[in-house]
Amino acid sequence: MMLAPNPDAGLRAEAVSVGYADRAVLERVALHLPTGGITALVGPNGSGKSTLLKALARLKAPSAGAVLLDGQAIARLPSAEVARRMAVLPQAPVAPSGMTVAELVEQGRYPHAGPLRMLRRQDHEAIREALAATGMTGFAARALDELSGGERQRAWIALALAQSTPWLLLDEPTTFLDIGHQLEVLDLVARLNRERGITVLMVLHDLAQAARFADRMVVLHAGRLHSEGPPEAVVTPAMLAEVFRIEARIIPDAATGRPHLLPIRHLPDGAPAC
Amino acid sequence: MSVRLLWPGLTALLLATAAAQLAIGTVAIPLAEMPDHIILHAVRLPRLIVVVLSGAMLGLAGALLQTVTRNPLAEPGLMGVSAGAVLAIVAMIIAASRAEGLGVVRETGWHLGLAGVAGGMAAGALTYALSRHQGTSRPILLVLMGVLVAGSASALTSVLLLTADESQLRLVLHWTIGSTNGRGWVHVEMLLPYAAAGLAMGLLSAGVANALQLGAGVAAGLGLRVEHARLLLIFAAAVLTAGAVSVVGGIGFVGLIGPHLARMLVGNDARRLFPAAAVVAALLLTLADLGARTFPLGWIEAWTRSPVPAPTGLPVGVITPLLGVPFFLWLVFARRERA
Repeated sequence: MMLAPNPDAGLRAEAVSVGYADRAVLERVALHLPTGGITALVGPNGSGKSTLLKALARLKAPSAGAVLLDGQAIARLPSAEVARRMAVLPQAPVAPSGMTVAELVEQGRYPHAGPLRMLRRQDHEAIREALAATGMTGFAARALDELSGGERQRAWIALALAQSTPWLLLDEPTTFLDIGHQLEVLDLVARLNRERGITVLMVLHDLAQAARFADRMVVLHAGRLHSEGPPEAVVTPAMLAEVFRIEARIIPDAATGRPHLLPIRHLPDGAPAC
Repeated sequence: MSVRLLWPGLTALLLATAAAQLAIGTVAIPLAEMPDHIILHAVRLPRLIVVVLSGAMLGLAGALLQTVTRNPLAEPGLMGVSAGAVLAIVAMIIAASRAEGLGVVRETGWHLGLAGVAGGMAAGALTYALSRHQGTSRPILLVLMGVLVAGSASALTSVLLLTADESQLRLVLHWTIGSTNGRGWVHVEMLLPYAAAGLAMGLLSAGVANALQLGAGVAAGLGLRVEHARLLLIFAAAVLTAGAVSVVGGIGFVGLIGPHLARMLVGNDARRLFPAAAVVAALLLTLADLGARTFPLGWIEAWTRSPVPAPTGLPVGVITPLLGVPFFLWLVFARRERA
């Protein structure tokens, strides 16, 4: 017997608007992210991509609209319940100085812990798995401030993994990392998606990396949804000109068909958008 | 110090200092008479309890506020709670001594403690209210508003002091410096409810504090209701600080150094850090009090060429910075050497 796919499954934004003080940052963004796969949220600076991630993760309450997780409004779910289904890592988090990797990752069990916050067997198991999956087992006793940028970011991802959630939301996980460490982190994210079936939504700054690692891309422009879909459909000369104001050549990858990006020049304001 | 020996070691140190505190004093008591000597029971024991409790309270308050603000320089006076408590007490002493004469006030008692706690909590509430914006408090604003509130309260205290006479000044000075001189059972009774409530609240919030110290965004992602958590920790710290300051005055440094030393010993995990901060600060204040009681006043008399009223001894609030400043210098320079 075939089971009909649940139309409610996944993360859904229904006409979500967010405003800071007197300025609207997001205007009526409607979006449905099915479970499975990696989605990259892209857009120029100030387009509202971080704000959308925060609204989807319940870190920022929308001024209008609703966010539904598997059909349930997250605003009405208890905080711990949301944290058991979605792990979220803000941009460039900072731990107290001297904190060790083990101490950090242990906090991932916070939403699962009982009132006395004692770790049980399944908590130790989840922490061990999170450290192993991120390759941080050997670093458990090390202080975070002694690690390289890539190792530190892996430790933070291990914290999110220890939450044992089906969803993982990352806000610019590669900020401040050099290209090697950027790929190290993105490879890890891809592996977690492939091997553990974790659905990933991440804000990415770099369009080329988004096109390379994401199954779907969501493009925001000036607080509105511009386009969404697989990278080869989304990354077009027209989108790059309209949203990012650049002229670029797009070359499909010989092996994967994914678009490669060759930026040519910035388009001055007022220039025709192709 | 290895982790296994840490708690037994700290406990042994505290007990040894406490024993010294009971055994040493201006009146020499033979060891055989010690167990039931009147001075031990009526004077040294209640003072020791006040010192240990208020030290623990200030240490835990400092650790709580360092966690909330994620600022290692936070200390119990940060929210203006100490300055508010001192202001209320000074106002009370001056008003009461005008109405009934200083003799009545010197007895202290519940009304003075209550006034201090009310003043401290009011100042803390004002700081918190000023640092709130669109439903959330910002730690940096908490620090800034705390400075403003504390500064204003201290200014008002100074204005009151200008109107006070000589004998009122001498009494009030001990509150602003912080002193454990002449603290008896009445003070133990004043301190106990705030110590019990504040220590319980603070120690039980360690799990919440652990999530909070990862930053508001991460903590919220872990399912913590960040503003509730901040308020819980701030409230506990205010109760502890206001309670302690209302009995011993504005003793500085133990609430700053205690948590720092504790962090060096046990790390950042609040479930170990909070109790350790309380124990270390209690130990520091007991040591400082021992120093205050045994400090040879002859030096001061020779230097200033004026007699110091002997039996009262130095206020402990003079000793804590003497201990605290060298420690801080060592901390800064030792860290720099290693880096």
